[in-house]
Amino acid sequence: MANENQSATAQQSDTDQLISTDPGGGGLSEQSDNQTVDSETESVVQSQNLDVYYGDTQALQDITIEIPSNRVTAMIGPSGCGKSTFLRCINRMNDLVDIARVEGDLYFHGQNVYDDYVDPVALRRRIGMVFQHPNPFPKSIYDNVAYGLRIQGNTENLDAKVEQSLKRAALWDEVKDRLDDSALDLSGGQQQRLCIARAIAVDPEVILMDEPASALDPIATSQIEDLIEELAEEYTVVIVTHNMQQAARISDQTAVFLTGGELVEFDDTDKIFENPESQRVEDYITGKFG
Amino acid sequence: MSNTIDLSGDRGSQDLREGIYGVVFFVCAAISVLTTIGIILALVLPTLTFLGEVPIREFLLGTQFSPAIQPTVFGVLPLVFGTLLITVGAAAVALPVGLLTATYLSEYASHRRRAVLKPLLEILAGVPTVVYGYFALVYVTPLLDAIPGLELGTFNALSASLVMGIMIIPMVSSISEDSMSAVPESIRNAAYGLGATKYRVSTSVVIPSAVSGIASSYILALSRAIGETMIVVVAAGQSARFPDSISGLLNSFFQSTQTMTSAIVQLGTSDLAGGTTAYRALFAIGLTLFVMTFVLNVVSDVITMRYQEDYE
Amino acid sequence: MATPTSSETTFESVSRTKGAVFEYLTLGASLFGLVALGVLLLYVFWDAFGLATAEIAWYGALVICVVAPTLGFVAYARRNTVAGEVALELVSTAMGGLLAGFGVIAVIEVIAGPAVWFAYFLTVVAPLVGLFLYNRARPEVTWVGLAMLGVLIAGPIIGTLTLDTLTQIESLIGGPFVYLLSLVLPAAVIARYVIDDYLELGNGNFAAGLVVAVAFFAVPLIDTLPLVSRSVWLIFLSTLVTPLGIVAWKNLAAPENRVGFAGPGIFIGGVGLLLIVTDALGLSGPTPWFDWQYLTSNPSRFADQAGLYSAIIGSVFIIVLVALITLALGVGAAIFLEEYAPDSGPGAAIARLIRINISNLAGVPSVVYGILGLAVFANLVGLGFGTVITAALTLSLLILPIVIISAREAIRAVPDSIRNASYGMGATKWQTTRNIVLPRAIPGILTGTILALGRAIGETAPLIMIGVATTKFSPPSGLFSKTTAMPMQIFAWSSYPSAEFQHGVVAAGVVTLLVVLLTMNSIAILLRNKFETEEL
Repeated sequence: MANENQSATAQQSDTDQLISTDPGGGGLSEQSDNQTVDSETESVVQSQNLDVYYGDTQALQDITIEIPSNRVTAMIGPSGCGKSTFLRCINRMNDLVDIARVEGDLYFHGQNVYDDYVDPVALRRRIGMVFQHPNPFPKSIYDNVAYGLRIQGNTENLDAKVEQSLKRAALWDEVKDRLDDSALDLSGGQQQRLCIARAIAVDPEVILMDEPASALDPIATSQIEDLIEELAEEYTVVIVTHNMQQAARISDQTAVFLTGGELVEFDDTDKIFENPESQRVEDYITGKFG
Repeated sequence: MSNTIDLSGDRGSQDLREGIYGVVFFVCAAISVLTTIGIILALVLPTLTFLGEVPIREFLLGTQFSPAIQPTVFGVLPLVFGTLLITVGAAAVALPVGLLTATYLSEYASHRRRAVLKPLLEILAGVPTVVYGYFALVYVTPLLDAIPGLELGTFNALSASLVMGIMIIPMVSSISEDSMSAVPESIRNAAYGLGATKYRVSTSVVIPSAVSGIASSYILALSRAIGETMIVVVAAGQSARFPDSISGLLNSFFQSTQTMTSAIVQLGTSDLAGGTTAYRALFAIGLTLFVMTFVLNVVSDVITMRYQEDYE
Repeated sequence: MATPTSSETTFESVSRTKGAVFEYLTLGASLFGLVALGVLLLYVFWDAFGLATAEIAWYGALVICVVAPTLGFVAYARRNTVAGEVALELVSTAMGGLLAGFGVIAVIEVIAGPAVWFAYFLTVVAPLVGLFLYNRARPEVTWVGLAMLGVLIAGPIIGTLTLDTLTQIESLIGGPFVYLLSLVLPAAVIARYVIDDYLELGNGNFAAGLVVAVAFFAVPLIDTLPLVSRSVWLIFLSTLVTPLGIVAWKNLAAPENRVGFAGPGIFIGGVGLLLIVTDALGLSGPTPWFDWQYLTSNPSRFADQAGLYSAIIGSVFIIVLVALITLALGVGAAIFLEEYAPDSGPGAAIARLIRINISNLAGVPSVVYGILGLAVFANLVGLGFGTVITAALTLSLLILPIVIISAREAIRAVPDSIRNASYGMGATKWQTTRNIVLPRAIPGILTGTILALGRAIGETAPLIMIGVATTKFSPPSGLFSKTTAMPMQIFAWSSYPSAEFQHGVVAAGVVTLLVVLLTMNSIAILLRNKFETEEL
């Protein structure tokens, strides 16, 4: 990871220059003013003037954002305002949607992921994703966690790596005696933690989470939230949630998307929830509109 | 910018393997296209030669079919008539029975009865057609013959069409029932709310709402009956007739008949040499048959697509 | 608030007679076809089993010894469903094993002979299975798929080229030993895996050893039975005895399942009792047309000597080939259409064309496929008229659209959520298809294929058109030998006017065909039910 930190810092200044010369459209001018990403925190994922269309409908407008590394970044906003769409742009899962069209740039480690030479499969092996509804494979618990390692041909010390992932996902104690049982036998909360273990087994740098706790009961939800805070020590976590309290609890930075796919404000979580710059954000947070 | 991670995804031989798999699967799928091309060529090429020897008017409009016995004449109408005769007879059994069955399954039957009846009905479609032909010849014809007043030849169109009708009941009932089940409860409830009886709801609300699916199932069943071979080959005989009066038409049920399919079989198994006109008639008849069933299938698809009721 | 006037509070009742009549009409319609078919089946079974020739007293004994107790068990099973399920499982495993055993005998022992079988076993089957097991043990090795493809292509070629030398092996070690190596040992190994990993009953190794031990120690007993040769014994050991043993063991292990054994037990015991009683009382049973002699004799002009043997072997040979061809091509096409076909652009148009084409092909009359087979396989490619390979290819094209359609449905039923999970982790398309989609879809694919094969086994018109002989007096001996098939033979016999043929020989043939079909369909439906309840 060491070299990558250095080169990321080098790229940081490049992209800083690019951003500061950007006149900035829409409600995005806050970006350079509220650049509270301190200079010690690198950013592994940045987007610049990202527009996404589904057919003729525009789902994201001119999104420019820097996701800080090793932090939890939450994306909140009403339904249908593009949060999940943006998430899926990061690892190019939107490619699987036929009518999706992406314009603009999105950088991962300084490389534009939408360049022609970039292979989405290679990209996704560096970025993990956890979905809203737990989706473990109909295989054993062990095989689920080992899946990513196996398809990458990375099979030395498989047992140790599986154990480590399950421990990091706070699931090891509950399943260590039944690794060969079917993953579908687990409860919802356990399945979601298994999906997290599966995602981190290949040691990605970024973990994308699309409303990971919305299908779970309150106890399982709080377990997931604790887990997310721990994960941020090693990974960059980007989490989409429609639960504002959750975002306030666990995230370091929060991005607020409002209707039409507009990124209205992006700042430290405390600032967003206590004293946001934008009136629209304040209205949303205090519930004046949905 | 120095790239410390490689996003180009060059996995060397694995990429080659991925590519190979893609091609292999495409070839598997493309074989179906080759099949269609093969069918069309196999039918059209000999037919062209045939139509060089037999004028198309004689083929399409002639009312006599005598490929082997002199004077040879190759009119397809008697065969078409035979096919239609059997088809009408089968439809007379299958269409009403199938629709009533579908109504019972979708409107009246309890879940358990439905779960038992539906697979049982599929059995009707699963019996080999040569077995049905045998049943018609050996059991149904003597039974019908025993009815006083009915004079049946050993080979006759009535037994064959009756048995064929039984065979295609599941086609009608299954597709119609799917269509009727798709009618939303809300429409039925609206009718009940107005004080309609179940009978009224079924006949005047559900069936009309599902009519495109029902029509489509009818057409598919007709197409199946037209293309059916073994029942008629075994039980209906091989006399190509074209009636010249209405009473002759009705009488045709009780006599032996030749359909397009059984003519094809007869020509294929006869001692006719490969290069003769009579042998090539086989392909011409086959092309006619193919066109008829193809048109019917396309019409059925069009009806399903265009008139599929959108209930929302 | 309106107060009801006293004279208007009664509601007229609406007549329901029309509705009642209609309901009975629809019920009658639903049963009409089934009743008609049932009557026809009764007739044909009556003829085939010669039921007219038995004494009334014999029927009485039959009812008392067999029918009543079995019906009693069925009634009991309606309340104790576990017993019914276990009994059904035992019976279907037995039937399936019998059918598989006969199939193996037909293909390997009769058609190919143990020498040829062993040659291809060494060059094709063993390497394939070895690769498969190697892949299971070390899933990360990625060249296994292509290696298996290579073996599939090169293996038969190598086998054919070296046939002369390889067949010498058999003469050295003997036919039965060939079967021991190629059938019994694999069956023992499979039994071990099923018992240990799948059923988790423990003692898998013991079971495997038991299988091999039984193979040897039963030989002296087998030698005393006239009908059963050592080879036949070993074949049935692997296809019938071992699976039945596994199923029996599994059900014996669970105390509440043991009742199920009463079902087949009552039936078999009843039959035994019947034989004793009728022998003691001198009751004469029916003289069936459908008997062992019928199944093992070749056709003949004389009704009492006629048999279905060559037709059965021919049908088995053809269907095995059809199964291999349609599974390979059908699953491949379905994978392309569901996983690989692009959603937009020219590729999507091609894929749509292929889909439409396939559903059209499903509606083409079977006699047209016969014409296709005649023109292309028999004439153009020159594979011969009425040969096994021509018949297999023609029938494969006939049922290929059906197999593709049901394979597509099975693949589509795999939920997108787990596909997304796999892609999200950076799996390639083939990795996702092979590891996630296919394993989930295989039961549905198999069910659809078995049902389609049931259709193929009964098809006559295409066989007539490609020149399959109406009568052959010996079973086929190779891919290019002319053959007959069951429906073809039935068709031929149905034109013999004598009553013995019409109501005897043909009836027995129909019953044979129907029994085979019934078994195949039951296996398919059992497969489907079993895997539908296992998921979720």
